[in-house]
Amino acid sequence: MPKYSTDYSLPEFFAVCSARQIEDGEVVFAGIGSPLLGAMLAKQTHAPNCIIVTECGGIGPETDRTFLGIGDNVCVENAISNNSLWRLFADQQGGFIDIGMIGGAQVDKWGNLNSTAIFGDGDYYSPKTRLPGSGGANDIASSAGRFIITTPLDKRRFVERVDYITSPGYIDGPDGRTKNGLPGGGPSAIITNKAIFKFDKATGEAYLDQVKSGVTIQEVIDNVGWDLKVSSNVTEIEEPTVEQIEVVRTLDEYKIFTGDGMSKLTFENLLQMHYKAFEKKLNL
Amino acid sequence: MLNDYKKKPDKRMSLKEAVSTFMFDGCSVGFSGMGGAQVVAPVHEIIRQNIKDLTLMGDSPVEPGDLLTGMGLVKKMEIGWEAYALAGQAPNFRRSVEKSIPLKVEVEEYSNFTMGLRYLAQAMNVPYLPTRSLRGSDIPKYNSNIIETVDPYTNSPIALVPAANPDVCFVHANRADILGNAQFIGFSANGENLARAAKHCVITCEEIVTTDVIRSTGNLTIIPQYVVDAVVEVPYCCHPWNCPYAYAYDIVSHLDQLKTFKTREGFLQWIDEWVLGVPDHNGYLKKVGFEKLNELTRVEKKFCNAPY
Repeated sequence: MPKYSTDYSLPEFFAVCSARQIEDGEVVFAGIGSPLLGAMLAKQTHAPNCIIVTECGGIGPETDRTFLGIGDNVCVENAISNNSLWRLFADQQGGFIDIGMIGGAQVDKWGNLNSTAIFGDGDYYSPKTRLPGSGGANDIASSAGRFIITTPLDKRRFVERVDYITSPGYIDGPDGRTKNGLPGGGPSAIITNKAIFKFDKATGEAYLDQVKSGVTIQEVIDNVGWDLKVSSNVTEIEEPTVEQIEVVRTLDEYKIFTGDGMSKLTFENLLQMHYKAFEKKLNL
Repeated sequence: MLNDYKKKPDKRMSLKEAVSTFMFDGCSVGFSGMGGAQVVAPVHEIIRQNIKDLTLMGDSPVEPGDLLTGMGLVKKMEIGWEAYALAGQAPNFRRSVEKSIPLKVEVEEYSNFTMGLRYLAQAMNVPYLPTRSLRGSDIPKYNSNIIETVDPYTNSPIALVPAANPDVCFVHANRADILGNAQFIGFSANGENLARAAKHCVITCEEIVTTDVIRSTGNLTIIPQYVVDAVVEVPYCCHPWNCPYAYAYDIVSHLDQLKTFKTREGFLQWIDEWVLGVPDHNGYLKKVGFEKLNELTRVEKKFCNAPY
């Protein structure tokens, strides 16, 4: 029986839930931000043989350093292969990537994601908020063996229909993907900081599958902007273990992913992040 | 003739010369990099030379998309993504699209993979490439240059993306020789195809080496000399971004910049101080501080040290 943690934050819990989606040995295409933290955590705990790939073309780096981006030097540190972007994405389209991990500003009941524009009272050409765009997310959603969506539970994010489909889930129904020739299996879960949703392949719709301890089903329903389907057997999400929380805290010592550490980061802290990882590498 | 540049025995130029020779008002331009290894120094030089009405092509061109848009030099972007990633969103890009400040840029959306396929298509001299990405999303809905069709062999749904042929590209490599053979020790992202897809290719590199160094490690030569028009040695070309096997990511500089870029006035003041207020890239590096740059190099060497 693992020792469970009794002292962790919601963002730390969120990272653990993402990490658990990865099975050992899988090839993982992790997107920028919290997905990368989940992938790093998985590799350092239950999935040491997983191969993390990132958009720049870095395949399978091995590192104690924290990824500061999908083209950070860490992406090629002790990598199996330093390759090209188009070759890596072609490998994904060709079926070699088992699981993708992406986020988005909006998600809807089909698992479609929007990272392009929030229309507000305007439209795509004159949106209320212009977001970064697809990056590699559309490609991951289209072709990864399956993909998981990581996003905090928030009614502003969980909308009836995304304004703009950047990354396709089931699109508009159970045959949305097949009629568009999308090779990947589609979304397999939405991981949030309070609940986990899965997808019913028969309808293409997300349903509530698990809730965090202390979170009620009603609270989840109140934070989802569509008529949410709920499993007849909603279970409690397994608590994070002491080890998992320790590793998250080591990986994100300055709380860049799991807190507001970004706003307080100094050049000295930044160098220290590297030097601490170097001490680990020395293995004294 | 401009084509003769690819045959020159010594392609070295200054960055100032490379920008003024190959760029012109109204041209289309692409930059290499992905996440890191962004080609920043040429962007500053383009701003100094005030080259405008640009069509920017890129997968995820951070500084090119945000700084050039903020200066009103870009009229159109054909891109997959525009933001500073972990450091934050792209404030000038957002002001342009949301508020037309200083002017509204036209955005033609793709994804990172499909922009890469556009370059590959052009590099192979075919008019388009098919892909399984994009279908089912709204990307083709708002981009009529993406064709959704069925393939002629199996009749299954497919999308087509057109070849991309920018007038000029800037590709940053770890090292190159004076003939233009460009080597990458880390990732090359879409650099190998972008170089071939552009009419003129400018290679910037951390260091220029002799040709026997190239020949002893030919497997690292991602871009051979016959593709290349000019070579410019630009150490720390990517700062604040990382360059694999060279220097670490100075994310703190980005965070400071983005605080300033929150307002347009702040952005323009920063440009006055850090781009227009210095004569060239070396002036920018002096201002960043060579001690800081040395720290970024020193720390990176502890993890990524190539045996060649």
